[in-house]
Amino acid sequence: MKIERQKILELVYASIEPINEQRESKDDKLELEEETHLFGRESKLDSLGLVTLIIDIEQSLVEELGLEVSLTDEKAMSQERSPFRDVKSLVDYICSLEV
Amino acid sequence: MSIQWLLDRMQTFGDGEAIIWKGDRYTYKWLLDRVKYWETNLSSNGVGSGQVVVIEGDFSPNISALLLALIGNKNIVVPLSSSLPEKQKEQFVSIAEAQVKYTFDSDDGFQFEALKKRAENALILELQSTNEPGLILFSSGSTGKSKAVLHNFTKLLEKYRTPRPAFRMIIFLLFDHIGGVNTFFHILSNGGCIVAVDERSPEGVCKAIEAFKVEILPTSPTFLNLLLISEQYRYFDLSSLKRITYGTEPMPESTLKKVHEVLPDVQLQQTYGLSELGILRSKSKSSDSLWVKIGGENYQTKVVDGLLYIKTDSAMLGYLNAPSPFDEDGWFNTEDQVEVDGEYMRILGRKSDIINVGGEKVYPAEVESVLLEMDGVTDVAVTGEPNPILGQIVKARVNLGKEENISELKKRIREFCKGRLEQYKIPVKVEIAGETQFSARFKRMRR
Repeated sequence: MKIERQKILELVYASIEPINEQRESKDDKLELEEETHLFGRESKLDSLGLVTLIIDIEQSLVEELGLEVSLTDEKAMSQERSPFRDVKSLVDYICSLEV
Repeated sequence: MSIQWLLDRMQTFGDGEAIIWKGDRYTYKWLLDRVKYWETNLSSNGVGSGQVVVIEGDFSPNISALLLALIGNKNIVVPLSSSLPEKQKEQFVSIAEAQVKYTFDSDDGFQFEALKKRAENALILELQSTNEPGLILFSSGSTGKSKAVLHNFTKLLEKYRTPRPAFRMIIFLLFDHIGGVNTFFHILSNGGCIVAVDERSPEGVCKAIEAFKVEILPTSPTFLNLLLISEQYRYFDLSSLKRITYGTEPMPESTLKKVHEVLPDVQLQQTYGLSELGILRSKSKSSDSLWVKIGGENYQTKVVDGLLYIKTDSAMLGYLNAPSPFDEDGWFNTEDQVEVDGEYMRILGRKSDIINVGGEKVYPAEVESVLLEMDGVTDVAVTGEPNPILGQIVKARVNLGKEENISELKKRIREFCKGRLEQYKIPVKVEIAGETQFSARFKRMRR
């Protein structure tokens, strides 16, 4: 089964929202765009923030779409380019997982 | 004789109440007569000195008398709680190389069974050759594999020779637990009264305190948390209660403060002990303080790299199924991380329970303490989960008083923890537990 990209994108945005809610300054909030950096120099997330987001996405994938995937297993970590660069690469990576 | 001093002392307590069991009262005189009965039973069953004897059941009048008779007969006693899973019981019987077994039912009736011909374990043989009684306990161990702890019973009982005040105490911890064994001998050597409870629920315990004017309740933080949630302390007269002692796991500060608030006249006292070493003497700084002085005669303590080490004459002889944990000078590494302030220390938790989030240490008890303050949270177990990015992340499994959606709960937890805990201590993963998360020993199961 191939995963529908739009649904995944919405789910990732929905997971970013509560993280934004806890950030008071507008500058610290993540934009809901595919280009938004998730990790690295230009990201507003530190490693803890990234892990929190990933775990939230994993839990939502199970609860809302019934998809049981690990986003931080060896496969994810050993990709040539990190799936955690930005929203787009993360969504693409989730879609690429055969379930 | 190894236990004669205790029997002599019990003689002087005569018609005093020794045990209350299922509402019936048994005097010291009754108990001593019953020890004689068991001495005869042992000899007619051919149970000779040195044999390894399993007693399966829970504290009862007959089990109490049999335990004393077995020590007098120089046996190596293996107490096994009936609440253990069958498979585990079989495993323990085999590790202990038990030769005979007494199984007690809930009415205090019993069955006798002959098992193995002789023990072969080197430590057991060594103890048998000294003609001293023994005790085998199983330490749960944080890694899951139980270690069989062999004690010389005479040495273990030595400290009860010092007379202490007598109290009426609930025997809450099970009789295959070092804390249960400690309560048992502490009471009998001082002329106190054992109040056995068959139902270890908040209601059952409060009912027993009221009915039998219990003065001391030795228990665990998990049970105290249940007591708070159930509010059973409101419905019973607990005015006889002078002291609650707690141990076996780190106490969440919020639980301690709340207990002190609802029972302000009860002294709250932390205890510290290990299957391998027995129970140390301890004194809490105050009822609402987690700072405690531990040690006492025969126990030496030192702290190296934040870990507590203990040395004592009454330490176990060794493990039956694992290498000796003592260093060449006889020190035992408790693996408990502690903080020290002058004479007092604060127990932070087992080293193996500590969660390492990207190099930062998180003590589960601290996070649990904060989460327990939240509305609707009735219990929680905090653990570390492996994570390739941070090494470990903090996971909380939460029991709820009423239904709540997971994302709502997660949001609520993060908001509540903000400002109360450093960012890295806030649970990244949250799960709702459908089942209770404590063992028959009222100890939080972190899994």
